[in-house]
Amino acid sequence: MKVSELVQKTGLTAINEYKDREIESVYISDMVSDLIASAKANSVVVTLQTHKSLIAAANLVAAAMIVIVNGRKPSEDVAALANRIGIGLFSYSLDSWAFAKELVKLGFE
Amino acid sequence: MDPCTHEWSICNVRHGYLVEESCFECGGRLSFFSAEPVPPMEEYREGRHFWAYLASCQTVKFDLKCRACGRIVNLNDVNGLMLSECTDRDCQVGALVRQQGPDSLVYVAVCPNTTHSTGKCVSSEGIEALNQYFKAKLSPVGRTVTVVPCKLCNSIDKCRGTSIADVGLTDIQ
Repeated sequence: MKVSELVQKTGLTAINEYKDREIESVYISDMVSDLIASAKANSVVVTLQTHKSLIAAANLVAAAMIVIVNGRKPSEDVAALANRIGIGLFSYSLDSWAFAKELVKLGFE
Repeated sequence: MDPCTHEWSICNVRHGYLVEESCFECGGRLSFFSAEPVPPMEEYREGRHFWAYLASCQTVKFDLKCRACGRIVNLNDVNGLMLSECTDRDCQVGALVRQQGPDSLVYVAVCPNTTHSTGKCVSSEGIEALNQYFKAKLSPVGRTVTVVPCKLCNSIDKCRGTSIADVGLTDIQ
């Protein structure tokens, strides 16, 4: 599934411009160091973190997109770094569990 | 020369705390990984140093293992990675940052003793393996990173960048 298709089907709000990459997996974590050790390339990273270090970590694992839950939004410098490295940042109004259920409905396992 | 073109993967994932301490006597700083359920906060004397707890954050450590030859590179001497935004004209890392193209970033691998008073930093073997691991992971999406040891920084404690750290999740007051 492409990023744009997931955005359209789950009602995500785009925070920055994004590349329409293919999504291959999902990783849910609120620890940025854990992302480096465990997230796979081309994954959707689901988190409530909004710190710049999230982008620095997501870049290292070649994440396809980042979904920030609970309606949280990052600051402008975080979005600027995401733009620079071409990772789409999105906001989801509900919590991680609600988004996880949406992903399962769409066939992610 | 190593005959294997390594295919690195992450292994030996360990969860714990990165604890930072400061010496009252010399002002030096060190950090270490603790796998204890609660990070140690006791003060202690070690030779001429008197180390006191400064801060801690949750972290994850790992090593790299080659799928082809089975070699394991121990990354115990890597206490963290920092995305460098160095603008210091006299710093080797700053010079490297300025040389990068738009799709490339420089990360500094931070060792336990950033004063480098013992002369040690992250091993060249570790730096090489990290570069190969990230190159393999990022080249399919057209991105590159360069990992350098913190001994190349003029002053890692004053360096401009974004440390990949889980600060604030489990701070102990």
